[in-house]
Amino acid sequence: MAVQVKKVLRPPPQITSWRSGLAIIAGLWVTTRHLIANLFGFIRGRQDFTVYYPEQRFLHAPALRGMPVLVQMENGRERCVACGLCEWACPTSCICIFPAETDSEVERYPEIFDIDMTRCMFCGLCEEACPEEAIVMSRQIEISTYSRGGSLWHKEDLLVPESRLRTRIDFLRSQYGR
Amino acid sequence: MENIVQIVVDGRTIAAPEGVPLLQAMLDAGIDVPHYCYHPKLSIDGSCRLCAVKIEGMPKLQIACNTQVRAGMLVHTDDEEAAQTRRGVLELLLLNHPLDCPICDKAGECWLQNYSVRFGSRRGRSVMPRRKLGKRLDIGERMLLDQERCILCRRCVRFCREITKTGELLIFNRGHRSVLDIGDSRLDNPYSMCTADICPVGALETRDFHHRLRVWFFTQTASVCPGCSNGCNIMVDECYGQIWRLFPRRNDAVNDTWMCDSGRLGYRFVNRPRLRHPLINESGAPSAATWSEALERAAGGLIRVRDTWGGSAIGALISPHLTTEENFRFGELLRALGAEKLAMAVPRGAADNFLIKAEKAANARGVRELGLVSGEDDGLNSLLQSVRAGRIKALYVCGEDLLRVIGAEQTAALLQPLEFVAVQTLRQIPEYARAAVAFPATSFAEKNGVFVNHAGRAQRIAVAVDPPPGWMSDGEIFTQLLNRIESRAERFSPEAVWSQIAAGNPRFAGLSLDRLGTLGAPLVDPENIGPQTVHTAPS
Ligand code: SF4
Ligand code: SF4
Ligand code: SF4
Ligand code: SF4
Ligand code: FES
Repeated sequence: MAVQVKKVLRPPPQITSWRSGLAIIAGLWVTTRHLIANLFGFIRGRQDFTVYYPEQRFLHAPALRGMPVLVQMENGRERCVACGLCEWACPTSCICIFPAETDSEVERYPEIFDIDMTRCMFCGLCEEACPEEAIVMSRQIEISTYSRGGSLWHKEDLLVPESRLRTRIDFLRSQYGR
Repeated sequence: MENIVQIVVDGRTIAAPEGVPLLQAMLDAGIDVPHYCYHPKLSIDGSCRLCAVKIEGMPKLQIACNTQVRAGMLVHTDDEEAAQTRRGVLELLLLNHPLDCPICDKAGECWLQNYSVRFGSRRGRSVMPRRKLGKRLDIGERMLLDQERCILCRRCVRFCREITKTGELLIFNRGHRSVLDIGDSRLDNPYSMCTADICPVGALETRDFHHRLRVWFFTQTASVCPGCSNGCNIMVDECYGQIWRLFPRRNDAVNDTWMCDSGRLGYRFVNRPRLRHPLINESGAPSAATWSEALERAAGGLIRVRDTWGGSAIGALISPHLTTEENFRFGELLRALGAEKLAMAVPRGAADNFLIKAEKAANARGVRELGLVSGEDDGLNSLLQSVRAGRIKALYVCGEDLLRVIGAEQTAALLQPLEFVAVQTLRQIPEYARAAVAFPATSFAEKNGVFVNHAGRAQRIAVAVDPPPGWMSDGEIFTQLLNRIESRAERFSPEAVWSQIAAGNPRFAGLSLDRLGTLGAPLVDPENIGPQTVHTAPS
């Protein structure tokens, strides 16, 4: 399939209008307000922001795109049906799937599902392409390894129970109206 | 004689023979009219109604497949009424269609997907539950049926009725209760897998390609089936350095749009464990060697036998699986050695009066046309006698056909007393353990070249799977041996060898590779050089 390029004309920036002047002032006010709040907030008992990682951890917003993982259903199986759309959508070609047949009603499952995390760029296109909500961007960001081989994640390592991915799945549904 | 007339389609004037289906005329002119049930090699059914177009002077929309071209027709395909009909037909087809695309083998090359995206309305209005029918039905040795996906175009029914004349597939019930199924016999005819090609959706699936890789990952190469001497034109789908499937390519002079099941499944030998490096046998057991070691030994062995007993002590078994170019080079090598006893072992099997031919090799005719072998049995018995009588001291064996023709035991016994044996083989075979040198052979999918089919039609094959770096094709091995024997420094180029063949052999005169194109051309009959039929590529 040929990629189609559509040229979009951007409206030229209109710095001359009075509205952009107002916007600049409003923007400056926001930053200044935060600056003052951060500098002198302690007077009114404000907590500092520093998180003492790794003793403390920060719970990221559901919009965070961490490492892509596979959703594991309650019966322990992957939700993925090896349709190959994420593999196709992935701009870095870091997903490798070998499908196989199962006896269950869905007929098809990934016998091999590998993600090369040295190449993944956390774009989330795999998640967006998936018709089965089977691959989602988790909050997992601690994925460094001691060897390059360790960055090749296999299906067993990628499976995460659905209950732990609920926030992200709900977020996706709200975003894409699924 | 066809009467060419002019018709106007969407303001464009096109020329077409009078009386052909309007749909075919438009498709030939490059106008992409959506259609499901029409197939150029089957009778007209008119069951899908998708090809409806507006023809001026006709009160209603007409289906283009069942309308014949008449002079001066004014046709509109982009008419609002036609577009609405297409949308409606697609909506009705999708009414009961399962949402199976993620697990459907056809996804990516499915006409229902393509047309729905291009012409459909994108939104289903029905709230009724979809029809539940049989899925993954075991309808034959090599075929599965998913009744829910079937759009009842009856292409498969017509194929079984008109092409194989076996009539296994039938439509049962009427109206919205219609369902496709097998009748009294299972879909086991030798061409059954063609139904999966012509099925516009994923209702008929081959077991061989069931739940395999996605079609969009494949690199497709036009080639020729190596399974028998019919030389059906095929496409080869490659990914990850493997072949995943073969399917027929239209060539009206050879195989129309069909191929047999055993040919289609005949790609596996390319993938399965292969000999990947030369072997030499010094101490009684074959061991891995480098290419140059093996070439040195082979050339040395052949020269030694020639110098001791003369060239007539060298025999060769030519492979009907190698390309014409490679065998031509092999012929040069054997001439340089003075070898006289050349033979070819062609495995034989069942044949029918449609596509399947008895000779289970693609290029036996090519070897004969080059004049390398002669006689009813291609010189095989004479060679075997000479070997058994001890007149042949060295044998150069290409391919594994000897095992299939005279059997494994006979082969081992034949090679045992010989002074020197060189083989070229796809796999390491115990019967060939005796060989002083074994070179890995190249399959049809790993090289460029020309095969000549049973009817003397020269057709090109092309590299579909890249051989590993440093790999030598069979032609390259012959050339390297020739270099060592004649102190030359040549490389094997199939194109150059082909020009040499075309220049030197009247049967191949004028058949340049360009001339052969993707559809091939018949060899020249030097007695009767008349106008040649040139088959143009179908749309
Ligand atoms: S996040 Fe992007 S780069 Fe990473 S696997 Fe998904 S599609 Fe590929
Ligand atoms: S897109 Fe979803 S269902 Fe398809 S292969 Fe990827 S993870 Fe599996
Ligand atoms: S036949 Fe086509 S539309 Fe239907 S499930 Fe298969 S790919 Fe999808
Ligand atoms: S199985 Fe396929 S070819 Fe046969 S009628 Fe159904 S859609 Fe048509
Ligand atoms: S293609 Fe004309 S009705 Fe089906």
